Amino acid sequence: MESTAVITATNLVKRYGKLEVVKGIDFSVPAGQCFGLLGPNGAGKSTTMRMIMGLSEVTSGELKVFGEPASRMRREIKAKIGLVPQESNLDPDITVQENLVAFGRYFALSKSAIDQRTAELLDFMQLNDKKFAPVNALSGGMKRRLTIARALIGSPEMVILDEPTTGLDPQARVLIWKQLTELKKEGRTLLLTTHYMDEAQRLCDQIVVIDNGTILDQGTPKELIARHVKGFVFEVQKPNLAASSENRWDQEDIGDSVLYFVDDTAEFIADLPEEAIYLHRPANLEDVFLRLTGRKLREN
Amino acid sequence: MPESVYVLAVYDRQYRVFRKLLGSSLVSNVANPILFLFAFGFGMGSFIDTMSGMSYLTFVVAGMIGYSAAFAASFETSIGAFTRYFLQKNWDAILSTPVTLAELMMGEILWASVKALFSAICVLVVGWLWGGVPTSFEPLLTLPIVFLGSICFACAGLVATAYAKGYEFFAYFFTFWVTPMFVFCGVFFDIGRFPEFVQYFAWFFPMTHLVAAIRPLTAGTELDVATIMLHIIYIVVFSAAAFWIAHRKLHQRLYD
Repeated sequence: MESTAVITATNLVKRYGKLEVVKGIDFSVPAGQCFGLLGPNGAGKSTTMRMIMGLSEVTSGELKVFGEPASRMRREIKAKIGLVPQESNLDPDITVQENLVAFGRYFALSKSAIDQRTAELLDFMQLNDKKFAPVNALSGGMKRRLTIARALIGSPEMVILDEPTTGLDPQARVLIWKQLTELKKEGRTLLLTTHYMDEAQRLCDQIVVIDNGTILDQGTPKELIARHVKGFVFEVQKPNLAASSENRWDQEDIGDSVLYFVDDTAEFIADLPEEAIYLHRPANLEDVFLRLTGRKLREN
Repeated sequence: MPESVYVLAVYDRQYRVFRKLLGSSLVSNVANPILFLFAFGFGMGSFIDTMSGMSYLTFVVAGMIGYSAAFAASFETSIGAFTRYFLQKNWDAILSTPVTLAELMMGEILWASVKALFSAICVLVVGWLWGGVPTSFEPLLTLPIVFLGSICFACAGLVATAYAKGYEFFAYFFTFWVTPMFVFCGVFFDIGRFPEFVQYFAWFFPMTHLVAAIRPLTAGTELDVATIMLHIIYIVVFSAAAFWIAHRKLHQRLYD
């Protein structure tokens, strides 16, 4: 059954003065799925998220959230969304528990609902021991868990997560992945940005790769891998490369070595010279991402 | 339309933080007026027999009630609110919930005004114990007027927050807004002693209207209800204008 779309963007454009940050993108986020918005820094991800939250005005095109224009978002719609921002904006003046209670009040929940949800969420995000601790006493991982718990206080239908595991240790990441998967099972829609391709591959049903304000491709992780990097990657060190002509294999020169993207490994290995030094692994989303967005550094 | 449940949610968060610091807050709110009343009521009072036909202590109590409210409300929505907005990003978090910007501002203003009223009550009580409040019932009527005045100062503080790029900006706010309210607005002496153009300047400040409205009530002098109403109207109009300006500017800064 085709599920209904929670977000639909049609020819969505955002301009700041003359600078066009989002250049007419189309996508739709189906209900109950985890939707990944991937792209290098400055690709237009955060701007798109701000527009979805109604914090940034749509320059042109259409952006509908729960069927209504995002720029004139009604309170009832806003109450269906939980936001986990990239930068922590937890309230440092109050305790862990009080942060949840304060947010419950911003969502106009009743006192009993707040008490119940707070207890559930402290449990869900394993923060019970830190209930009465001030926010500044928490580690980075705990702060992120609290930020996620806070976003869930109003039992939102959709949770927007902007790089939820950036800067966390592997244990903290695993816990967050587990709980996000749990949220998906409960039927909530997740909209996720991340720089970790393993994270996207693990969590996302649908992925949009965006760069310079345009969509480069979209599909399921499997589709994207099949379309752009085939099944396997061989990283072959120069100068002993594949014998056949350059046209036979889908390849990319990355300096000291060449990457070959192949479906049939046996056939490819047969084409390599005896002395070839190579690394052989299944292709993943990271390969797709780098192929689509290029290998140049973005911070400059 | 703003709804009270969301305004109160913002207010409640402030109250929670304040409750943790109640002790120190109470001490400064009581100690401050005692110091001022002592210095001016006794120090200056011994040189000045009467001011505007009342004892100098009585004159100063009304001024100090107004000033302590003005200072508390101004501080809360300027440096206090700016910290929550700019440094702690509390406002970003709140605006991602169903709370609107107008409700957020109203919650800040409401809290600042309650806190200011609390300061004013401390001064009133200290002034009364000190013998600077000759009547017993009328002074209670000052409280709603002081509350309105505090809303006005809180709105003005939010204008400063809306335009501030950093903490340095508040040096201007305190030098050109809060300090003039202390010296030009009838807190320590009758503004009738100023040259005429300074008087016009003084009447621009809501502080002058607030002090003029509450002084007859704490001093027990003859009441002119119509004049008091005019002062209140000025304070209300000023508040509305300040709120509108602050909302417009903050909307520009927080949404893009």
